[in-house]
Amino acid sequence: MTELIPITALGAAAAQSLRLGRLTIRDLPDLALASLSMPSEGQASSGLGLTLPGPGRWTSGTDVAAFWTGPGQWMIEGPGLAETDFASLIAAKIPGVAVTEQTDGFAGFAVEGPRIDRLLERLINLPTAATAPGCATRTGLHHMSVFVIRETAEKVVLLAMRSMAGTLWDILKNTAEQKIEEEQ
Amino acid sequence: MTRLSGCLIDRSKTLRFTFNGRSLTGHPGDTLASALLANGIQLVGRGFKYHRPRGIFTAGSEEPNALVTLHDGARSEPNTRATMVELFDGLQARSQNHAGSLKHDLLAVNDLFAPFFAAGFYYKTFMWPKAFWEKLYEPAIRKAAGLGSLSGLPDPSTYDRGFLHPDLLVIGGGAAGLAAALCAGRAGAQVVLADEDFRLGGRLLAEGGLLDGRPATDWVAEVEAELESLPNVRVLNRTTVFGSFDHGIYGAVERVSEHLADPGSRVRQTLWRITATRTVLAAGAIERHIPFRDNDRPGVMLAGAIRAYANRWGVSGQGRAGAPVAIFTNNDDGHRSAAQLAAKGVPVLGVIDPRDDAPNLGGYDTLAGAVITGTRGRHGITGIEVTRNGRAEWRDCGLLGVSGGWNPNVHLASHHRGRPVWDDARLAFLPGPNGPAGLIPAGAARGAGSTTAALADGVRAATTALEALGRTATSLDLPQAEAEPQAQAAFWHVPGKGRAWVDFQNDVTVKDIALAHQENMRPVEHLKRWTTLGMATDQGKTANVTSLAVMAELTGKTIPETGTTIFRPPYTPVSMGVLGGGDSGKHFRPTRLTPTHHWAEAQGAIFTEVGQWMRAQYYPQAGETHWRQSVDREALAVRADVGLCDVTTLGKIDVQGRDAGEFLNRVYSNMMGTLKVGRVRYGLMLREDGHAYDDGTCARMAENHYVVTTTTANAGLVYNRMEFARQCLWPDLDVTTISTTDAWAQIAVAGPKSRELLGRVVDEFDLSNEGFPFMACAELTVCGGLRARLFRISFSGELAFEIAVPARYGQALMERLMAAGSDLGVTPYGTEALGVLRIEKGHAAGAELNGQTTAAMLGLGRMVSAKKDSIGAVMSRREGLANERRRLVGLMPVDDSAPVVSGAHLFTDGDAHTLDTDQGWVTSACYSPHLGAMIGLGFLEDGDTRLDEVIVAANPLEGTSAQLRVVSAHFIDPEGDRLRD
Repeated sequence: MTELIPITALGAAAAQSLRLGRLTIRDLPDLALASLSMPSEGQASSGLGLTLPGPGRWTSGTDVAAFWTGPGQWMIEGPGLAETDFASLIAAKIPGVAVTEQTDGFAGFAVEGPRIDRLLERLINLPTAATAPGCATRTGLHHMSVFVIRETAEKVVLLAMRSMAGTLWDILKNTAEQKIEEEQ
Repeated sequence: MTRLSGCLIDRSKTLRFTFNGRSLTGHPGDTLASALLANGIQLVGRGFKYHRPRGIFTAGSEEPNALVTLHDGARSEPNTRATMVELFDGLQARSQNHAGSLKHDLLAVNDLFAPFFAAGFYYKTFMWPKAFWEKLYEPAIRKAAGLGSLSGLPDPSTYDRGFLHPDLLVIGGGAAGLAAALCAGRAGAQVVLADEDFRLGGRLLAEGGLLDGRPATDWVAEVEAELESLPNVRVLNRTTVFGSFDHGIYGAVERVSEHLADPGSRVRQTLWRITATRTVLAAGAIERHIPFRDNDRPGVMLAGAIRAYANRWGVSGQGRAGAPVAIFTNNDDGHRSAAQLAAKGVPVLGVIDPRDDAPNLGGYDTLAGAVITGTRGRHGITGIEVTRNGRAEWRDCGLLGVSGGWNPNVHLASHHRGRPVWDDARLAFLPGPNGPAGLIPAGAARGAGSTTAALADGVRAATTALEALGRTATSLDLPQAEAEPQAQAAFWHVPGKGRAWVDFQNDVTVKDIALAHQENMRPVEHLKRWTTLGMATDQGKTANVTSLAVMAELTGKTIPETGTTIFRPPYTPVSMGVLGGGDSGKHFRPTRLTPTHHWAEAQGAIFTEVGQWMRAQYYPQAGETHWRQSVDREALAVRADVGLCDVTTLGKIDVQGRDAGEFLNRVYSNMMGTLKVGRVRYGLMLREDGHAYDDGTCARMAENHYVVTTTTANAGLVYNRMEFARQCLWPDLDVTTISTTDAWAQIAVAGPKSRELLGRVVDEFDLSNEGFPFMACAELTVCGGLRARLFRISFSGELAFEIAVPARYGQALMERLMAAGSDLGVTPYGTEALGVLRIEKGHAAGAELNGQTTAAMLGLGRMVSAKKDSIGAVMSRREGLANERRRLVGLMPVDDSAPVVSGAHLFTDGDAHTLDTDQGWVTSACYSPHLGAMIGLGFLEDGDTRLDEVIVAANPLEGTSAQLRVVSAHFIDPEGDRLRD
């Protein structure tokens, strides 16, 4: 175990959490990520304990979750596994595929609470059908490219480039505050 | 003034507001216009050109006259339509476009010179001298003629944006819109109903009619309640749909907090981008007027607006209490205003109607076969001249309503070059068949203007939309409306002497149109430009069709033959602020922070924007008063000891696959497939046209695994182009690419003591020259087991490494290196010192790789391999590029104290400084603390054969020039011994 102490994408020692009305926004520094690319589609993926999802979809297994990012490409999520060599773990489970470490390539933010769609409509130009539970897609958000992963009706995870974490945090906070202000 | 009975304002509460500093009162539910009229104020502004007194003309967003400025200071908002301002406590409004007071506008003198200001007078009068236009004519015209003024201060309001994707967008919340929304909502479609008013109902609020024997507002309230209860229906009040764009996208602005006395932290407006599968346009109709002599006085108003003020706001609108109201109309609808006013006890002079068979709806006199031929009143109407059977008679009048029929609001249906179609029966343009796809006009916007027709047409439109959506409409029990007589005559203006206004906002009269005709400006597009008719904030909403009718009469053509101008967004003015959707200030674009940003901030670093990145530019130390002192110190420290620089911003692309080597051979101009595992190679990429576009290193981490680095500026571009090549050019190759720029924090450790410093953090790794030579790479661990990547590459020309760790550890690694190297003189350095070091070494950067230079120009001609093909290789050999003879050289001033200016152009000493004799330019320049002088890099004609020649660098922009000596671009260690040590 290294002697160095990591910081979160927001530059803090630990995850931040914000309660705005009935919404909670928090960053996910413990989320491990690895991109996976298969030479051809349809290869066995049982090593992960889940069936790799189709276009626009996200699926969760026991330890890891996965969402589609392109033909033959997925991002594998490992909640709580950021401090592991996650890419190597994945590569070991599915031999013969290209795996790239992405844990620190993205900063993850979870937004939880009711009426998340009313927040998302201020952020991304997607119909609600594309952000329904089980959906994952890449889209623009205030000039950033983000993955929008709708895990449940009351939880969405946004992944942005790690270097833009501060901007995304600000935008989520401001937008949520604005929504609350308007609804009052 | 006393309000009329039975209106839709909350009389139990009083709101205070000011107009031109005068304290006035109104009630919740009022607009600024209704409150001004209720206070007996008819004069609210001055005309555009002649500065004649102007009053409120309409009761809606089509208002051409009553433009006021709201608020003070930075929040000052000019050109706001008083008819659209929802009254709130503390509202401050003032009139605009006058010198001196509103009543005594000094610029009213313009009216005396009206004959000189006829149509096209700008073009005729201000032709010469040409130089006078910008300096004299335009400023003077702008001052004398115009609308309100901007504060010139930054807008303190905030804005945001939103995106909606309904099955059906209903534009307009009147009878047709409500019926359509209800029908589609009950059928389960996702519906958005957008209405620009703050209260749903449209003209139902203004007409005072009954539905099923009850006030129409009861039905509106019931529908509104049901719509609110449907989870699939969204009602956006105070929201104007201003444009139809491609693919069923509509732009809309919601006025979120403009109606609040204290908006708090709420945004002022929201920009909605609505992507609708189908759209029902139920935008209603706009009443037109009938031009007659002096028809622009305050107190002359659309007859339908008078009805609206009476029924909705309880305002009768006369300038003098009890003064009689007259109506001038060519249609039955105008008579309804008279009948309703009379029923409310307002004194009605009568209805002047040019039709011999004019009706009478009761409670007033009808003057059939009569017209109005003039008005009186200085600041408001006091009398009208009624001419009947050739006999003119002046009558006392405090308010005159005019109705020339109704124009369906075809604006949005006419975007995308949709052409409205003339309907002889309705004497109006209707939405044409070639408007925006998926848009279904309904109700008055389609010429179905009676309440009964509008309700039914709304259901029809919704049913049509639902069919397209694959849904079935359920039947709707529509309420029964009263009969509304609709007959009208084609009577467009009252001919005669004097000026009769067609377009109030632009001061365009019937005479102006006649002049345009006389001067052969007859096509409608010419007519518009020559007279300015239909321009500015109201876009001729109350004027366009009337002007076409006048022009048609003059040309002897029909109205449809005369044509219409093109409709374009926006329908009503949209503030620039809201178009930005909130992306202003720090939200103008995302900011990217490096992994060591917070550490650098704590060190007092000065940052510079590099694209979206914030990079440490230099680290000032105590006692340093000028940036050069800091930069010189940092650069010297790197060459003497060791320096640290966060280079995370360089693009990193992970390339994997059995064909990765072949893929890289094709995207790099030089050979990359032969690179051995554990080695790094410098690579150059060409654009398809043969020019160089990016350079960087390529490291082979494993047999089928490469890590490509790019310049900071081109990180996204290179990845984009590599993906294009992978997916589209060579899909047969087994290769995958993905950006890892953000995943790894990369720190340059540069300087003669870099090996010693790194040796203190790596875990049992051989850093010796033999174990890890120049251009080696490896995966290793540092600081007790942290996985890392090490590259022995050098941008500075010194012994140097770049070490990468997962980004979350970047700051900790930087801190560890700083602590571990304190006895070695370790120094953090920023982008300025980085630039100095690379210029001293002669390494190309963005200024040299500017997209217009070739590999040969950069001295890298041999890197375009002839043994293989690669993107841009063939085109780089074309004649124009192969014959290019400018070459990268180093430049030093002959006089050590002389500056070297980046961007200066190079000339042979003694030549004239002209384009013909131009021999190149200085690309980069800096002060070299090692050489004690400024140095530069530049491209010079045959530069590789002109070493030691003295040339001239000229900066014609500042009128300076200096003699420079041509030297090697490698100012420091030209043999490259240091970096291989």
